[in-house]
Amino acid sequence: MTLIKYTRQAIFLIFALSIGFNGSAVAQKGPKDEFLFPELNPIKMPEIQKVTLDNGLRLFLVEDHNYPTIGIRGQVYAGSIYEPPDKVGLASITGTVLRTGGTERMSGDEIDKELETMAASVETWIGLNSGGISASMLKDDLDRCLQLMAEILTKPVFSENKIELAKINMRTGISRRNDDVNEITGREFEKLIYGGAHPYARHTEYATVDAITRDDIVDFYRSCFQPNNMLLAVWGDFKTKEMVNKIKRVLKDWPAKPVKLPPKPEVDYKDRYTVNYINKPDVNQSNIMIGHLGGLMNNPDYPTLIVMNNILSWDRMFKRIRTDEGLAYNVWGYYDSNYDYPGVFSAGAQTKSASTVHAIELILEEMKKITEQEVTDEELKKAKDKYLNSFVFNFDSQAKIINRMLTYTYFGYPVDFADKLKEQVEKVGKADVLQAAKKYLHPGKVQILVVGNKEEFDRPLSTLGEVNVIDITIPQAGE
Amino acid sequence: MPLKKRLYFLLFMILVLLMQQPAFPQSFDHIKGAVREFTLDNGMKFIVLERHEAPVVSFHVYADVGSANESYGITGISHLLEHMAFKGSKVVGTSNYEAEKALFPKMDELYDKLKREHWKVKPDTALIAELSKELEALRGQAKQYVVNNEFFDMLEREGDDAVNAYTSNDATQYINSLPSNRLEFWMSMISDRFLNPVFREFYKEKDVVMEERRLSLETQPIGKLIEDFMATAFKAHPYHHSIVGHMSDLENITRQDVIGYFQKYYIPSNLTVGIVGDVNFAAVQEMARLYFGRISSNPKPERVRTVEPEQWGERRVKVRARSQPVLLIGYHRPNAGHEDESALEALANIIGQGRSSRLYEVLVKEKRIAAQTGCFSGWPGIKFPNLIAFFAISTPDHTSDECLAAIDEEIGKIKQESVKPDELQKFKRTYKKGLIDSMKSNASMASLLTLNEAVLGDWRLLFDDLAKMEAVTAEDIKRVADKYLVEDNRTVGEIIPEESSK
Repeated sequence: MTLIKYTRQAIFLIFALSIGFNGSAVAQKGPKDEFLFPELNPIKMPEIQKVTLDNGLRLFLVEDHNYPTIGIRGQVYAGSIYEPPDKVGLASITGTVLRTGGTERMSGDEIDKELETMAASVETWIGLNSGGISASMLKDDLDRCLQLMAEILTKPVFSENKIELAKINMRTGISRRNDDVNEITGREFEKLIYGGAHPYARHTEYATVDAITRDDIVDFYRSCFQPNNMLLAVWGDFKTKEMVNKIKRVLKDWPAKPVKLPPKPEVDYKDRYTVNYINKPDVNQSNIMIGHLGGLMNNPDYPTLIVMNNILSWDRMFKRIRTDEGLAYNVWGYYDSNYDYPGVFSAGAQTKSASTVHAIELILEEMKKITEQEVTDEELKKAKDKYLNSFVFNFDSQAKIINRMLTYTYFGYPVDFADKLKEQVEKVGKADVLQAAKKYLHPGKVQILVVGNKEEFDRPLSTLGEVNVIDITIPQAGE
Repeated sequence: MPLKKRLYFLLFMILVLLMQQPAFPQSFDHIKGAVREFTLDNGMKFIVLERHEAPVVSFHVYADVGSANESYGITGISHLLEHMAFKGSKVVGTSNYEAEKALFPKMDELYDKLKREHWKVKPDTALIAELSKELEALRGQAKQYVVNNEFFDMLEREGDDAVNAYTSNDATQYINSLPSNRLEFWMSMISDRFLNPVFREFYKEKDVVMEERRLSLETQPIGKLIEDFMATAFKAHPYHHSIVGHMSDLENITRQDVIGYFQKYYIPSNLTVGIVGDVNFAAVQEMARLYFGRISSNPKPERVRTVEPEQWGERRVKVRARSQPVLLIGYHRPNAGHEDESALEALANIIGQGRSSRLYEVLVKEKRIAAQTGCFSGWPGIKFPNLIAFFAISTPDHTSDECLAAIDEEIGKIKQESVKPDELQKFKRTYKKGLIDSMKSNASMASLLTLNEAVLGDWRLLFDDLAKMEAVTAEDIKRVADKYLVEDNRTVGEIIPEESSK
């Protein structure tokens, strides 16, 4: 590594010297001239230590002595997908109050105060398909932070006071969920794809929040926050052996417990063409989202879809609908894939009311075109070059590297998943992209959602098909 | 060991030591000591930090011009210019510049005619339709020579992970992050961009910016509140208008306006460049001289001359919207670099940042009248006197008025009793940790170095200001609370829900 680095420096020195001696000997290169890039310096792969504790906790550690800080991220198998349908919000509130509700030793307020005085943070959450704990601190505060983390994980009290506070916060969110046109569009589109009551799209209502009890919360916490159900990554300025011992010590009274989570929800999507409208008379711009179900990242076509997405979103949607036509600031077309449940294919834009139907037609045109003709050689090369040449950024920090490893391990993906992807992207050809587009994009069977003011549209939405009007009035508690 | 051998051994050990990466944690002094700078003859300043952890480098070009430099009739021009800076040059973005060039004056002339017809008391709609058709035809002709988004494509193809830009009230900033062996390519692309820009696809890009205004402002209740709030808090200083600009100004800005604005503000002495990553200082310096030295120097533009005068009384502004209530309060405060800066930052942190802050404890935890509340300072910009602001998102069944009363009460307590030692410690430690965290990424570091250089006059203040923050006392905080958090000095803005918005 040193040799390469100094060879490169030698080249620059010669370059510099030649300018010094001859003044105009080296001319500027134009942006389109040929550049001879020196070989890229090698990536320094850090050594990540893996340790499994007696209680089943799986630890990942990487040292980074550049800054006097430590970062921690623990992930548990959990999710709102496991909450009962009449108590939507249970998972989220459990994740919140685990941290804010206090422990056997300290109230939530005392913990807030102590952490913030140290300029440290410990946070817990439960999202759609995972839960966890994260922490950030100056290295001097490691011992105290580990202690607080351990108490929060193993001895939380979920005080009624903080449960009610979290509920008030949720109710505030519900009352405001129709204030932002983008939030409305995203939320309602997911419901069109997965189904309004489906775990991947449902949302809280006053009734579901009211129904959540402290017992529910404690049970939910017990069902997932167990050491044998957790992966924990630690990175920063410490010595690995010392850190492992500290974690062992602070979690010694946290024994493994059986964890049995229900099966993940099935997604049963039927391709269909629908046109949907939400009336928002106070906006002068329509929010458009069009699409259908997406896919999974472990699909062998995923590398090809990466290339297709780049071309569809950028070369087709952005270049035409934004740059050529000036119809939108934000426009995209993207077949999204998730780790463990199918994502969503969506194409969309926000455009002034008077160009609504016109923009929809252009989006559908582009969706159709990529399923009918091969992409150009130039488009293909550029998409691949972009992916391959920026690949180095996956490795520009220890935190990034270890968190990616944690995520891959959590979802059961091989640790070298990113590297394998790179190899496969290198091989993608035009025919592959066309084949993938034909297989995965269904321009004739899309669901169209428009949120806006139909009084000002260029043409009635009904020109696109029978319109289903969605009512987003917020049901009051008890309805 | 014979003396000669010992000497050689010593020399060898010294060389080995010099070649090794430092194994100790970097203190601020260590990082500060590694930053180097140079200024080209034309006044363009470069700040370089070598970091060889990964073979990547981030670039940050800070153009010292933002919406605060704009006046009536051209609001939004800085941001529009930022968009135009991606349209390429005589070389990039075109298949035939000479052919394109011939069409621009005709297009601009037609556009001018169109505008003048629009302004007439009785515009001739038939003429307008005809002129529009002609302009559209010329646009179509010019379009055939345009290589769509070539500037973006050329950078992304080389692995640019972060090609982007943003405009604020104070500045326009352009960022790139590339594999480190692309250094010369960046030099070529970006120097070419500022040396030979061509503002092609001008009319369509204005349409894009108008959509951006609708998206980020006109369809957002909070966006509308902020626009009216700023207009009320600032009656004179150009912080009073939005970055995206007024729709009617956008509709009327011409290509010549943008060219003139570019020539006035994008002069080398008004550009500061930060380069952080796996580069060699000597190479950066030589290349910068070669590539950016081509840009001729010009006189520095006049600084914004208008100073916001003191308010004569509290100002109030209301925006009626389909939204739940939102409360916003702003008190005038001095620009960054003022001696009261550190005490104001401390005040904002203690009163309104974090779950243990005064406002959160009282409004959220105790009274339960707000779901979110807080305080932030340095808004909307920091280069000129600005605002220290408070906000509250009320809970259902509670009002902005209740929140305002509670915030006033907490401000009163600080004026009476100031703050506790552990609160001061929270601020100081948070500032320090924040500083450390912000230095970790090359892009963030490049941004901070240029910001401190351009706004405060010295990149070293990024590190040195820590001492000022650590010197703040409870007395200082009380003093600035008394001085600035005064009713006559404030503007209060709120979103009032429309009846049908429940």
